[in-house]
Amino acid sequence: MLEWFAANLATIIVSLVILAAVVLVVLKMIRDRKSGKGGCSCGNDCGACGACGACRGAQPTKSR
Amino acid sequence: MEVKIALAGNPNSGKTTMFNDLTGSNQRVGNWPGVTVEKKEGRLKGDRDVVIQDLPGIYSLSPYTLEEVVARSYLVNEKPDAIINIVDGTNIERNLYLTTQLIELGIPTVVAVNMIDVVRKNGDKIDLGKLGAALGCEVMETSALKGEGSHEVARRAAQLARESRPVEAPSVFDGSVEHAIAHIEESIEGRVDQRFLRWYAIKVFERDEKVLAELKLDPSLTEHLEQHIADCERELDDDAESIITNQRYAYIARVVSSAVEKKQSGLKMTTSDKIDHIVTNRVAALPIFIVVMAAVYWIAMGPLGTFLTDWTNDVLVGEWAVEGARGLLEGNVADWLVGLVCDGIIAGVGAVIGFVPQMLLLFLMLSILEDVGYMARIAFIMDRIFRKFGLSGKSFIPMLIGSGCGVPAVMASRTIENERDRRMTIMTTCFIPCGAKLPIISMIAGAFFDDGWWVATSAYFVGVFAIIISGIILKKLKAFAGDAAPFVMELPPYHAPAPSNVLRATWERGWSFIKRAGTVILLSSIIIWFLQAFGVENGAFGMVENNDNSILAAIGTAVAFIFIPLGFGTWQATVGVVGGLVAKENLVAIMAVCYGIAGEVSEAGEEMWGILASEYTGIAAYSFMVFNLLCAPCFAAMGAIKREMNSPKWTLAAIGYMCGFAYCVSLMIYQIGGLITGDVGFGVWTVVAFAVLAAMIYLLVRKNKYGEYGERLSERKAAVNA
Repeated sequence: MLEWFAANLATIIVSLVILAAVVLVVLKMIRDRKSGKGGCSCGNDCGACGACGACRGAQPTKSR
Repeated sequence: MEVKIALAGNPNSGKTTMFNDLTGSNQRVGNWPGVTVEKKEGRLKGDRDVVIQDLPGIYSLSPYTLEEVVARSYLVNEKPDAIINIVDGTNIERNLYLTTQLIELGIPTVVAVNMIDVVRKNGDKIDLGKLGAALGCEVMETSALKGEGSHEVARRAAQLARESRPVEAPSVFDGSVEHAIAHIEESIEGRVDQRFLRWYAIKVFERDEKVLAELKLDPSLTEHLEQHIADCERELDDDAESIITNQRYAYIARVVSSAVEKKQSGLKMTTSDKIDHIVTNRVAALPIFIVVMAAVYWIAMGPLGTFLTDWTNDVLVGEWAVEGARGLLEGNVADWLVGLVCDGIIAGVGAVIGFVPQMLLLFLMLSILEDVGYMARIAFIMDRIFRKFGLSGKSFIPMLIGSGCGVPAVMASRTIENERDRRMTIMTTCFIPCGAKLPIISMIAGAFFDDGWWVATSAYFVGVFAIIISGIILKKLKAFAGDAAPFVMELPPYHAPAPSNVLRATWERGWSFIKRAGTVILLSSIIIWFLQAFGVENGAFGMVENNDNSILAAIGTAVAFIFIPLGFGTWQATVGVVGGLVAKENLVAIMAVCYGIAGEVSEAGEEMWGILASEYTGIAAYSFMVFNLLCAPCFAAMGAIKREMNSPKWTLAAIGYMCGFAYCVSLMIYQIGGLITGDVGFGVWTVVAFAVLAAMIYLLVRKNKYGEYGERLSERKAAVNA
């Protein structure tokens, strides 16, 4: 068992790094979604978008 | 003590520029009206107890537009402690109309006469003391663009807010109107906040529906007040709203004549007018617009953009990142992990990152055009063209935003009051290629058309034509019938682009693209790599030698037949189209992973996209590009469509229309275009393509059966004859 670990140590480390990156990305996406940020190209960054407040799920006003 | 200060003013008077200066924010600033639709909040630099609220630009506190509704409800319901009213000093008469209404709110107000540098340059003089005395509030001068005076204004407003001194509104109206307003004030006293008493009274006098609904007055009281208003109307021979408007303007004229000294008189043309004389010329405007857009795409996608992207793709990603990682991992880790990192993650993310230089160049060009003021002219130019096809220039504003991202573009359609026009704009605005579609265009241009800049220009105009054609076709349907709503837009004066604005807008857009490459695209590349690397080969499940035997190939092949008539019925292209719904640039990442492009570059040293060129013909590639430009946008934009349509039926109709339209256009491009180029033989699908073309021409030229309100014109004619 220990030999197998030693032989595959690099594979295990790189896999864990990738796995950690994936987990972080997924967590960030969940956090963004919960805080109401969309997935638009304005990068969820309201600073870059004049209508971005609207991305946060506000309902449109009925037109006159 | 925390104080809230609202920034209010006319559109394009410099509110957001001042907001950014005061708070250190990076809010989007544009040299065209309507950039800010929603209110934004920030804290004053150096005094974190002061909260600054940037409101959308408005001309009055009458709830005619969405922006006015947002601003008015904030000012009246959330009651800021002070208002900074930003007034465009070069256009003071029109701006003071809102000022008189803001002062009536009874909230301490500081008037910031902005663009004072331009006022001085024009040789005009504004006596701030006289203006302040006449308006009954403090008046200061600023140049938000140059960062002059903004902080002094904010500090003074905060001081007034903390003192909370009562504000006395000046006497704007004639005796009989003031008499009626005084009666109304007496009648509604106690029902509203004392500070807002005068404002409410004036609104009751104007018979403002929203205010009347809010006050819920007794019928007897309403009748009594109505008598006062009617007496006034009889005396002045006008309706109440017009009386208030006219007397406000008369008051403003008196104030301006005493406090403002204009050097320019008569109809002397300004530099902006002279430029507009050429740029918005009836004949030359459209050719100029085409040349400008072609130049923008030539710079972004031409030699300079291509050089930067080629270097990023071939050297940075291909040689350094992929080869570096391969050299480091090969022999040290398992082969599948080498494949995942090099051919999956780096190839996928790298394929998208490779287009960042071109994207930054394009955004830089568009930001300059916007900041200079040319984009506002495009809306004006397009109004004349769109009007002929049933759309108004107001529909072009979302399309301008759409060149950056489809989500805010769909949201921006909210400012269109006419429901039919709004729906049609939502259905068509995503036809304009957004930033995320740029990598698709670049990939096709690079792989098939020798990096031809014209591919991107044509993609832009395919989008514009798709909107025009859709406008003509849809306007003849009952659901969209009727004349286009009138479009009024103030053309801002031209000014030199502010480097901070331009660079900030460019970077924000580019950075968000890079962030998405590191999140959505990274995850997607990993999933796609696993799905294309594993499958059933030689009767056993495991890693496959040939990815045609993979799980992804099996799924893609099952639906690829749909795209055979369009020329790209391969499983890779099919998976790309579907994956593009997650994010449009994801399509490029998927193609890179599915075709093992990173591996090709390293092993054979081939041209990056050479492998694609060997798989598809030029006409099939163009059809593929057009399909992906016009079909359903990414999920985020679809979510925006769902919210804005506020109806599942209309959401499905919009997405279905986009997909159907994209399929028909791509079918015609591949079948008819292929017949001309000799890439496609005559067959059943060629006949179908000609039938679609005939149907489209019929829909374009057929007579409109419906009138303004969706009624049948034939029935109206019969009724008129009867």
